[in-house]
Amino acid sequence: MSDASIDELIEGLAGELKPVRPRRVLRGGLWVAAGWIAGGALLLWLFGMRHDLAAGEPMAPLPMLAFWLIVALALAASWSALRMGLPGVGRDYGGWRWAGLAALALPLTALIIGLGDSHGALTEMRPDHGMRCTLDGLIAGVGVGAALFAWLKGGAPTSPARAGWVVGIAAGAAGAAAVALRCSSNDMIHIALWHGLAIPLWAVAGRVLLAPLLRW
Amino acid sequence: MSPDEPSLARLMAASQRGDRAAYRALLTDCRTWLLRYFARRIAPHQIDDLVQETLVSLHRKLATWDSGRPFLPWLAAIARYRWIDALRRQRDEAELGDHDAAVAAEDEAVHARLSLDHLLTRLPPGQAQAITLVKIEGASIAEAANISGQSESLVKVNIHRGLKTLAGLVESE
Repeated sequence: MSDASIDELIEGLAGELKPVRPRRVLRGGLWVAAGWIAGGALLLWLFGMRHDLAAGEPMAPLPMLAFWLIVALALAASWSALRMGLPGVGRDYGGWRWAGLAALALPLTALIIGLGDSHGALTEMRPDHGMRCTLDGLIAGVGVGAALFAWLKGGAPTSPARAGWVVGIAAGAAGAAAVALRCSSNDMIHIALWHGLAIPLWAVAGRVLLAPLLRW
Repeated sequence: MSPDEPSLARLMAASQRGDRAAYRALLTDCRTWLLRYFARRIAPHQIDDLVQETLVSLHRKLATWDSGRPFLPWLAAIARYRWIDALRRQRDEAELGDHDAAVAAEDEAVHARLSLDHLLTRLPPGQAQAITLVKIEGASIAEAANISGQSESLVKVNIHRGLKTLAGLVESE
């Protein structure tokens, strides 16, 4: 290659230039919100809302705290993934890590409760008690996962592997938050294990399945 | 004269609106900037290819620049991504047992090594030596094995692992 061929390339690229609409994080955010609402609405439409919420009563305090922690994780990871679509050296995409650390309070709480009541913990850990919630969480996260994937596919994520992880975490947390509105269990072990399980499963799927497709 | 941030941002904003003259000027300025950027990061015979790949990526990802943000960090992110990609390709070639030809212009090679040396100090000595011998000095795997006292397969493994680590180091910058 030489200066002449670079000149030719520049001429060629300039010749085929068309106006482009700059991508805005806000627009991507609206798609993510729509995906989240669609996933959650589909879940509630198919299986109904948990009894206390349907009756207009608030959630019990600990499940409500868990719900908001998971929502915070979904929001932080979605925001980070959206920003990853618009590259820039020196930009910080790590906000989701702090929300992720805070969300680790859930499995920690479950562990402490489980150590105090091992029989009850073992009952809650049986798959027939919770596998359904994990599956619901995985499905309810599809809307957010698809919206973020589409955004990043059209963007320019400079670390596809990391973007894959973060998209997965956002989708998993969005799905787990939707499940909290359907599942009536107030047990922290059930919530941390079976609702939370959607997050690492989606994260691994994001890394393994989506990341290779995000290369450009 | 080196292109400055405000002029580049202005040209880029015009380019996004479809102004071809502005875009031609922008790409020409970017070429100058990229030649200097890659000169300190990769072997001289690969620079032109990498500049072209980066210009094509810039063209494809034109919409991802936000006019509210500076232009050069955006360009640098795209350049870095293409550079990492080039490092990965070298790693894959190493995996297949392929190796680069020796760099012809010795003074240019020394110049390119300046920034690589900084990165190589962060690798285990065996990996750094294998990469230096094969990827920078152009030795064959057998020659590198002789010089370093490593087996041929260890040289290949060290190149593979070293380039993988280098790519990771660059991404985490």
